Amino acid sequence: MAIVKAVNTPARAAPISETSLVGWLRKNLFSSAINTVLTLFMAFIVYLIVSGVVVWGYLDATFVAENRRECFDNSLTGACWAGVIDWFDNIFYGRYPREEIWRINFGGLLLALWMAPLWITRVHGKILVGASVVALYPFLAGYLFSGGDKGLFVQVMVAGAILAFVINMANVVAGLVRNQSLDRLVIDLLGQANAPDKTQRNILLGLLAAGFAAAFLWQASWTVVGVSWTKWGGLFLTLVISGIGIASSLPGGIALALGRRSKLPVIRVLSTGFIEVFRSVPLITVLFMATTMFPLFMPEGFVLNKLVQVIIAVVLFNACYMAETVRAGLQAIPKGQFEGAHTIGLGYWGTMGLIIMPQALKHMIPNIVGSFIGLLKNSTLVSIIGLFDILLMLRSISRDVPWLGLHKEPLIFGAILFFIICFAMSKYSRHLEVTLSAGNKH
Amino acid sequence: MSSEQTTGQSQGQLASAASSEVMIEITEMNKWYGQFHVLKDINLTVHKGERIVVCGPSGSGKSTLIRCINALEEHQEGQIVVDGILLGKNLKNLDHIRTEVGMVFQNFNLFPHLTILENLTLGPMWVRKMGRTEANEIAMKYLERVKIPEQADKYPGQMSGGQQQRVAIARSLCMSPKIMLFDEPTSALDPEMIKEVLDVMVDLAETGMTMIVVTHEMGFARTIADEVIFMDEGDIVERNIPTEFFGNPEHERTQKFLSQIL
Repeated sequence: MAIVKAVNTPARAAPISETSLVGWLRKNLFSSAINTVLTLFMAFIVYLIVSGVVVWGYLDATFVAENRRECFDNSLTGACWAGVIDWFDNIFYGRYPREEIWRINFGGLLLALWMAPLWITRVHGKILVGASVVALYPFLAGYLFSGGDKGLFVQVMVAGAILAFVINMANVVAGLVRNQSLDRLVIDLLGQANAPDKTQRNILLGLLAAGFAAAFLWQASWTVVGVSWTKWGGLFLTLVISGIGIASSLPGGIALALGRRSKLPVIRVLSTGFIEVFRSVPLITVLFMATTMFPLFMPEGFVLNKLVQVIIAVVLFNACYMAETVRAGLQAIPKGQFEGAHTIGLGYWGTMGLIIMPQALKHMIPNIVGSFIGLLKNSTLVSIIGLFDILLMLRSISRDVPWLGLHKEPLIFGAILFFIICFAMSKYSRHLEVTLSAGNKH
Repeated sequence: MSSEQTTGQSQGQLASAASSEVMIEITEMNKWYGQFHVLKDINLTVHKGERIVVCGPSGSGKSTLIRCINALEEHQEGQIVVDGILLGKNLKNLDHIRTEVGMVFQNFNLFPHLTILENLTLGPMWVRKMGRTEANEIAMKYLERVKIPEQADKYPGQMSGGQQQRVAIARSLCMSPKIMLFDEPTSALDPEMIKEVLDVMVDLAETGMTMIVVTHEMGFARTIADEVIFMDEGDIVERNIPTEFFGNPEHERTQKFLSQIL
C-alpha cells in the first residue's frame, strides 16, 4: 500500500442542521409532511391546555373575596384563589397559635443556617456539622415547637444544641475569613500554635466546657409557652413527620441491610423477618396498628402521644424500604473491594464504613432520593388517622362555612407545593450524582 | 515480544536472601469448594527472604493456595502457620495475619472513590493508628519507590493498568508486611505495561522481602525465584530451583505445561 494522504485534513465547520436553531427545527420537527402535520397538531393541543389553564387560573380568577359567593359574583369561569389565600396560615402552620408562629419560622431558619456550611467549600469539618444537625438540632427544634417547662435532659440537650450552633457559625466565619477550621484559629489567636498536642486539646476542651456552662445558664433564663402537638398541622406537620422520617430511615435502613447480610443467623433472620413483614403491609395498616393496636400492648397508664406513634411507624416502614435499596447497592460492589480492604487489615466496620458504604451510597443516590420523595408524599396518609397534615388542612377548606364546597383550588395548590418540593429534591439528587462522580470515573 | 526478554535475563539470577527462619509452614492442608477438592495434601515451607514462584494451568489451585495463606479463604484440614501464628477460627489472629501479609491481586482492587494517596494512607491511619502526616510520608516514600509520586492526587480510574498495579503494590507495602503475595499481578495488563510492574517486583525482591508469586512470567521466575513450584489439579507436582525446573523438568505434567507456555 502506498501513502493514502500525505497532509493532515483541516477541520471544517459542522453542517447547518447540527448548529442553528432553524436546522434543529427542520431536522427534528419538520423533517417530512407527516411530521409537520403531527408537530402542528401537538402545538394546537398544547395551546388549548395552556390557554385554558391560564384563563381559569389567572385571567378569570378571583384573588380577593370574603367568601365563595363573592367569587361566583366576580366570575363563574375562573378559579377562586381567595379561599386558599384566606387559609394560608392554616395550610402552612395548622392550628398553631398565631402569635407563636415565629417559633416555627425561627426553627426553619436555624435549620437552614445550621446546614448551610455543608454547601460552602471553604468551611472545614463538614462531617461534624452534619452529625450535629442530626444529633442536636431535633432537641432544640423540638423544644422550640412544643415549648413548656424544660426537664433537666431537655435543658442539657438544648444548651448543647445552642453551643453547637454558635460554634458552627463561628466555624463558618473562620472558614470564610481565614480558610481555617475554628479550633486551629482559636489556638493561633491564643498564640499556642507550638504548644504540645495535649495542651492544645486541654485548652479547647476547657473553652468548650465554659461555652457549655454559659449556654446552659442562658437557656435557663427563658422558656416558651407550651403548644400541644394537637395544634400542629399543615405543611409544618408534614415536614416534621417526613423530616424525621428522612433523617432516621437512612441510618435505620443501613443497619437493617447490614443485618440482613450478617453472618450471624439470629441477626440475619430477625432483620429479614422485620423487613419482609413491614414491606408486605400497606403503610396505612401500619399507621392504624401504631395508633390503635400498639397502646393495647402497653402497660396500663402508659400513654404515648399519637404523633410520636405515627412518626415511629413512618420511620420503621421507610427504614425497611430503605434497607432493600441499600442492600441492592451493597450487592453492586465487587468482591474485590472487600478483599482489598481485608488485605490492608481493615475489620468489618472499617471495610463497611470506609470502603463499601461510600461507594454503595453513591450508586444509590437516585433510589434513595426516590424513596425520600415517596416518603414525603406517603406522609399525607396520616390525615386518615386524623392528624391535620397539609392534605387534611386543604380538604378542610371545603368544609369551612364561607368556602363551602371549594375543592379544586386547594388541592391544585397542594399539588403545586408538593411538586416544588419534590422537583427540587430530585434536581438536587441529580446535581449530587454529577458532583460526586466528577473525580472518579471508572 | 516475550516477557523473558523484557525482564532481562542479563540481570541474571538474584542472590538468594533466604535465611533459616521459617515464615510460612503448611502441613497436610486440604481445601474443598463444596464437593470440589481444590487443594490436596499441601505441604510447603517458606523461609524468611525466600522468593517462590507458583505456576500451573488454570484451575490448578495456585491462587487458592496463596489466598489461604492470607486467610481470604478458609481451609478445612491441616495447618497453616504464618509467622508463628496458627490460622484458624480465631478472628483476632486473622486480622493480625492480614496486616503482616500483603497481597496484590490480578484486578488491583484499588478503592475507586479515594485518591491514590488516600488509598495508601487508609491502612496506616485506620489500622496502624498513625497520624496523617506520618502516614502521608510513608505513602509518598513508597509511591516514589514504585516511581509514580506525581500521581498522588489522582483517582485510580484516571491511571493506566500498570500504574494501578504499582499503586496496589505500594498500598500493601505501606503496611510494612513481612510477606508479599502476588496473585497473577500482570495477567490483566496490556503487554507494554507488564515490564513496569515486573521491574517494581524485582526491586522489591532485591530488598529481601519474602515473596510468593503466582505468575506465568517465566522470565521473571528465572530472574528472581529461589524456587519454582508447579501445581496441577490441586497437587504440588514439582518443586525445584529455576535452572533445574526449566532446564530439566522431571514430571511429565511439568514438561507438558512448560512446552505449552514457553
